[in-house]
Amino acid sequence: MKKTKNFKPIDIVLTAISILIACIFLTPIVWSLACSLKTEGMKITSALDWFAPPYTFENYPSVILGSSVSTWLINSMFNASMSVILTILVTSLAAYPIAKLEFKGKSWLFLFFTVGLIVPGEATIVPLFIITNQLGLLDSYAGMILPSVAVSLNLIIISSFFKGIPNEMIEAAKIDGANHWIIYFRVVMPLAKTVLVTVSIFAFMASWNNYLWPLLCAINDSMFTLPVGIPTFAGTYTVDYVRPMTANMIASIPAIILYLIFEKRIVKGVTLSGIKG
Amino acid sequence: MAKKTLYHNGGRMWFIVIWFILPFTLLYSVFTIWPVIQGAIVSLHRWGLMGKQGWVGLENYQKFLGDRFFWQAMQNTALFVVMTVPLLVVSAFFLAMLANRPSRVKRFLRASYYLPSILSVSVISFITIYMASPYMGFLNQLLHSLHIIPAGIEPMWLSKTSLVRITLVVTTVWWTLGFSMLLFLSALQDIPEQLYEAAKIDGASAWRVLFSITIPILGQTFALVTFLQIIASFKVFGQIYLISGGGPGTVTRPIIQYIYTTAFTKNNLGYASAMSYALFLILIVFSLIQLRIQNKKD
Repeated sequence: MKKTKNFKPIDIVLTAISILIACIFLTPIVWSLACSLKTEGMKITSALDWFAPPYTFENYPSVILGSSVSTWLINSMFNASMSVILTILVTSLAAYPIAKLEFKGKSWLFLFFTVGLIVPGEATIVPLFIITNQLGLLDSYAGMILPSVAVSLNLIIISSFFKGIPNEMIEAAKIDGANHWIIYFRVVMPLAKTVLVTVSIFAFMASWNNYLWPLLCAINDSMFTLPVGIPTFAGTYTVDYVRPMTANMIASIPAIILYLIFEKRIVKGVTLSGIKG
Repeated sequence: MAKKTLYHNGGRMWFIVIWFILPFTLLYSVFTIWPVIQGAIVSLHRWGLMGKQGWVGLENYQKFLGDRFFWQAMQNTALFVVMTVPLLVVSAFFLAMLANRPSRVKRFLRASYYLPSILSVSVISFITIYMASPYMGFLNQLLHSLHIIPAGIEPMWLSKTSLVRITLVVTTVWWTLGFSMLLFLSALQDIPEQLYEAAKIDGASAWRVLFSITIPILGQTFALVTFLQIIASFKVFGQIYLISGGGPGTVTRPIIQYIYTTAFTKNNLGYASAMSYALFLILIVFSLIQLRIQNKKD
């Protein structure tokens, strides 16, 4: 990209517009954060009062300790981490033979695995509920986690990355006496770190923000995740802004931190998939 | 393309392969493929939350053809698609153009436009509900202090039909635009710099460059983003369910919410599955078109 040395007025105008829009985009989030730092019952007379000090962090411990938010936070964390671990393990295992081994019926197997790309989860939510119920997994962690583990798109992304790993490296390991399990674990997996991190981030975000499925699958308040719990929590505080917005921020801060740490990888991952959404 | 895979030993390879693919195949079959088949079976029965109640054949399918709530929900969903998709595609492109300009705030712009997308649907819905509520909400206070609306008038963003529609569309655009913006941004960065330099030498105006170079080159990205957005908007549920509850009455209720209510409040899983199948077929058509566009692109 070339550096502009002499600014034209149009450049200044466009930059100003782009910054203004960015501020509009951030306002609801900043507003939510400002609310969570307010003392309950503060008088608000104009729009700017929302953002004005004094600030307090008292709401965070009080909301986390004094309500079910802590339980939902733990559930969300647990579901998201388990979902990441299982997704990476199960998907990369299946990706290895598809990328690196030759066997009868491979193209049929791959076709079968990719059909899932066009199955919209929202349109199969009712039978998914019936199946989960028949398996006795309703209102359990397994029931919330397992349906989102085996995803076609992740398999395609990981196996196409595996395909790019040179066969010579695998041959060399083979000569050293390694079997396929050792090659998968010691050669292929370490080389695929970047793509595995990308898939992990998306699996984490998908689980952390999932709403429709946990809404159906979690029946007891103690099994709720943050997205399912927050609306019930906020409903009881309609006049008060402080506690609901604090709960909102507790649900958002982990995702925001994750975004700021892995920004580059997320941007790449979006382009790589082009399908999620 | 030459095949470059290792170890040809035919059928016996399966003894190893089977262990690698077993966990994925199991989970994928049970939770992705089987629901499609089970959905068809359920749709041919009267089926409640406690299980099967009897075979009804195609009755559930006939039923929704004459169900005005089904058509209303379809119409609401279609209206939502028509209102959001063009707005999302155009504004995502516009913001990608802004974020692609050489400037010191480039990273800040990209991050700010994308940040809402990483929030959960409940979070963004509750931000909207609290911000847009009348009398004490931030939005009306702001509009009053900027004198955009006169004092004493309180727009009912959450309860007046026409305004609720606007609230839902604006919230959705704000929340989901980031993803499409990133797709446009990476496509913009792939356009070779020389093309622009050549146009500059030829003395082409900025508008000319936009309409003769940038937009034609991004043709496929436009098509891809459009279809991805159509699919996403057709599946809308969370933000409408949480912000308006499908109301006032049922005038903004989308099809997924009607399916959800039919199944889990009205206890009619058979009928809900039949309607799901109608939605399923519509979405598959769009998905196949989208995959075609994508394959062409690669």
